[in-house]
Amino acid sequence: MSTLAQKIHLAPEQRSLLLRLVVLLLIGTGLALVSSAFLGANNLLNLLRQASLVFLLASGLTLVILCGGLDLSIGANVAMSACLAATVMKATGSPLAGCAAGLASGLLVGGVNGLLVTRVRVPPFIATYGTLWILHGLTYWFMAGDTIHGFPPAFRFLGSGYWLGVPVPVFLMIGVLALGTLFLQYTTMGQEIYATGSNTEAAALSGVPVLNRRLLVYMLSGGMAGLASLVFLARLNSAEGDMGEALTLQAVGAVLIGGTSLFGGTGTLAGTLVGALVLTVVLNGMNLLAISANWQPLITGVIVIVSVAADALSRRRSGD
Amino acid sequence: MKLKILAGIAALILAPLASAQGERIAVFTKNQTNPFFQVLRMGADSAAKQMGATTTHLIPTKPDSIPEQMSLIDDVVIKKPSAIVFTPVDIKAMVPGIQKINAAGIPVVNVNDRAEGGKFVAFVGSSDHALGVVTGRYLLQALGGKGNVIIIEGVKGSGASAERVRGFQDALKEFPQVKLLASQPGNFQRLQALQVMENLMQTHAQIDGVMAANDSMASGVIEALEGANRKAQVIGINGTKEAVDAIKAGKLLATGDYNGYLQGCISTMAAIRELRKLPVPKEVIFPPTVVHKGNYQPLDVPLESRSCPKWEEVVKS
Repeated sequence: MSTLAQKIHLAPEQRSLLLRLVVLLLIGTGLALVSSAFLGANNLLNLLRQASLVFLLASGLTLVILCGGLDLSIGANVAMSACLAATVMKATGSPLAGCAAGLASGLLVGGVNGLLVTRVRVPPFIATYGTLWILHGLTYWFMAGDTIHGFPPAFRFLGSGYWLGVPVPVFLMIGVLALGTLFLQYTTMGQEIYATGSNTEAAALSGVPVLNRRLLVYMLSGGMAGLASLVFLARLNSAEGDMGEALTLQAVGAVLIGGTSLFGGTGTLAGTLVGALVLTVVLNGMNLLAISANWQPLITGVIVIVSVAADALSRRRSGD
Repeated sequence: MKLKILAGIAALILAPLASAQGERIAVFTKNQTNPFFQVLRMGADSAAKQMGATTTHLIPTKPDSIPEQMSLIDDVVIKKPSAIVFTPVDIKAMVPGIQKINAAGIPVVNVNDRAEGGKFVAFVGSSDHALGVVTGRYLLQALGGKGNVIIIEGVKGSGASAERVRGFQDALKEFPQVKLLASQPGNFQRLQALQVMENLMQTHAQIDGVMAANDSMASGVIEALEGANRKAQVIGINGTKEAVDAIKAGKLLATGDYNGYLQGCISTMAAIRELRKLPVPKEVIFPPTVVHKGNYQPLDVPLESRSCPKWEEVVKS
């Protein structure tokens, strides 16, 4: 009986992921019918590469939201880490030193966010909204409107290279998805993150080190922002102060479209990948169909809502 | 009593001297992120230094934020600088703010984006439309008046983007054999322009030229082309250092330059001249220039070593 109950309990999550996947496939089928270029191997790789940039950033955020928190600083973190990595790389001529600087900066910001939330007890929204401004301020001041551009090919491989005909960021995306899913589903720590997000008090009472898990997810989110900053930098071949501005909301969008609950406790990394793909496919489709700039925001909004509506309606019917 | 009169006489004598020295000019720009405004601010600083005045820069921390620029105006009206050089973050929404400055009796010069209301000593700027036309025309001539082109637009709803794109379209009308394949928004962002270009290359096998509404997007387009091992002539707008480097490297065909440095110089000089009761025309419009491999050298110097020309060299009366 208990296993059956567990199955029924698990079903909504899987069903929700499945429904989102179906909607994504429907959008894809629709686009394939009207644009012959959409299903080309080139375009599919192109889509995956574009989605991988969003996914890398959104994956860390998924953990934070699963754990019942929020990280609004990731876009600003990307901008600062990329600018720092670019500066170090230019100064030392070493891609490795640049990468180390970018990752360290990302992790450091994540650590500060985590400490603010767990030790100072600032609400996550406020803490990370505050760091967002601080990071923007530091980056704008440091860059003073400048652009740093032109990096060594060895570094650029990370963002624009190919391996076995597949863009390198796509491998990073698959790696993060696989490792992240293993971590979340099959390790105690991963399960403790879910537990903390779904009911903090119950988790604390059953011995989960709630504060440490929260600190961990913010550090992972910061670290992923650091990694994403390197991929962005390598892809764009340039760093500028405002490069992160549009990214945060896009990443939050990918996580939520992917079915992770803003209240914590439910969601998957695979869902976030679907969310990132929905956002990417919409832009791709609008470009392929040459839809006027006047209509693009409206269409994006409608598709975002439609992509989760099927799931929301089926939940209502089943009374979840 | 005597002392007061003496002080009064001293003040009368010293007043012109004091006013000719050390005017405080408050310079409003739209953001800290666009290199164009960085250049404009350096022009303003150079002009003030030459004329013995000082500048303070008032910049929204959130780029192009209307409420922030409004509250910066509230602050500045209290601090009462001698004059203001003003770029509105929004040409319509900032009109009430400009009226507040007018009500406080502080002379104000409008620079770069022309506000739709309020009273100004002068407007200093250039035409985004003219810039779009000459830069677009340069690309179409380089293509020999034929081929397929793409337009990458800026932010929908931004005056600069709309005017530049209209300029591109007007240039296209002069070359009926050129086909416009698509006109898509890149929101002035490098990453989005790169992705839009990647997407457009999927449907269009032959793209000969790309007109981007700013230099960041032009660079994104170039990255996309290189990533796909394809070639096309690309133009941008803004005359940034990065664009000049790309022209030098043969990656970018040209960039439209509307003289941010000179705009900063002349607008600040106009404000100081107004305070010193020197003549100032109602309007100084700089002709757009196209920067290309034949003429980029003057822009290829460190900003710190540039300085403003004399007023008379630029403004012919």
